[in-house]
Amino acid sequence: MTKKGETKVALYKETLLAGLWRENPVFRLLLGMCPTLAVTAAVKPAFTMGCCVIFVLICSNIVVSLMRNFLKPHLRILMFTLTIATFVTIADLYLKAFVPDMSETLGPYVPLIIVNCIIICRAEACASKNGLAVSIIDAVGMGIGFTLTLCLLAGVRELLATGAVCEIAILPLLKEDGWFVPWAAMSMPVGAFITLGLMLGLVNLISRSRS
Amino acid sequence: MIRIKHFFQQSWLLIVASFAFGLLIAVANARWSDEIEWNKTEKLNRLSSALLPEARLELYAEVEIELDKGKKRKVKLREAVSRIGDRLGWTFEAAGSGFQDKIELVIALDKDLKTIVGYKVLSCNETPGFGDQIKDKYLREQFKDAPIGKFKPVKRGEADPEKTDSEIVTITGATVSSEAVVKIFNVYVEKVKGKIEELVQKKKGQISDDKEG
Repeated sequence: MTKKGETKVALYKETLLAGLWRENPVFRLLLGMCPTLAVTAAVKPAFTMGCCVIFVLICSNIVVSLMRNFLKPHLRILMFTLTIATFVTIADLYLKAFVPDMSETLGPYVPLIIVNCIIICRAEACASKNGLAVSIIDAVGMGIGFTLTLCLLAGVRELLATGAVCEIAILPLLKEDGWFVPWAAMSMPVGAFITLGLMLGLVNLISRSRS
Repeated sequence: MIRIKHFFQQSWLLIVASFAFGLLIAVANARWSDEIEWNKTEKLNRLSSALLPEARLELYAEVEIELDKGKKRKVKLREAVSRIGDRLGWTFEAAGSGFQDKIELVIALDKDLKTIVGYKVLSCNETPGFGDQIKDKYLREQFKDAPIGKFKPVKRGEADPEKTDSEIVTITGATVSSEAVVKIFNVYVEKVKGKIEELVQKKKGQISDDKEG
């Protein structure tokens, strides 16, 4: 492989991995807090939300990257919002048509992806300044990073709130002759704040010890 | 002319993108609207069955109801019938403005149009944990078996024990949403009742005319 090719591969790799740890949207950039707190009571809705965000991120980054040379500076935010709103509407319609129960569970949080800062941030910081390949890889990395974070948070909350993850029993419940007493608070907003706070602390500890 | 040229120079991308994205949404909507409508009907049937168990729903008529400020809305009246064909009640869809968005309900009335059987929420985007408590038993139970008429929303502690049938105690933290549900009942129920009575009388008249004929 030529040196130019190697540099490109390294750039793609770095862009992809940035979303998973170094620039993780939730743990490092503290973006997209609304769905992070609202839909992480269980893993399934968290995963669905993550998939919707990946779809919207990829599509909006592609469109923004393609039209980056034609964007007028004072109209760029308007263009980003218009692009994002279109793909969010499509994702919402898809959920309503094929996963109606999940659409109902997620409620207004799917349309609220329009105002999710991660997407507008990636459009502004990456897609409007880079080519198609980097924009797509950035969207995939950020989307996967966001989804994994959501699922991790939801996994902890669901496990402590019900003793199960994805409806698969893990901790034996006291009412079924086991020992675990479900923590009802974990399924409530307070549980989301506590879990997120502890995880942020843990991530900060790990990054400090690594640096 | 220069101004128009400047306008198009600045905003041509926005105009083109608006049309293209609008078209994209229209195509997606046209492609999936059947599935969305089917899901909605299936949910409506499921909720209606929960309100009137062991009943089969049949579309009786589509009537126009006059809402506030002269607005009109078409309402599908469904007759709930038993396996042997006896009438068990009536159901219809009703909607009104909630705290954040439109609230859609399925309301069931008894066969004699004297009491409310209950309601279920067909769709609502009220604040999770607060406004969406209108789906819970607390508010629903207050309408159950209440005589058809006007309802008054009252706060907890202000309820008059002698008016339990006409007063609805709102949910703390979901006052606006509870009041919206009460308003939907006040706007729709009596008018729908009147329409059903009218239609039933008309049908009876037709049957007797046929017999005489």
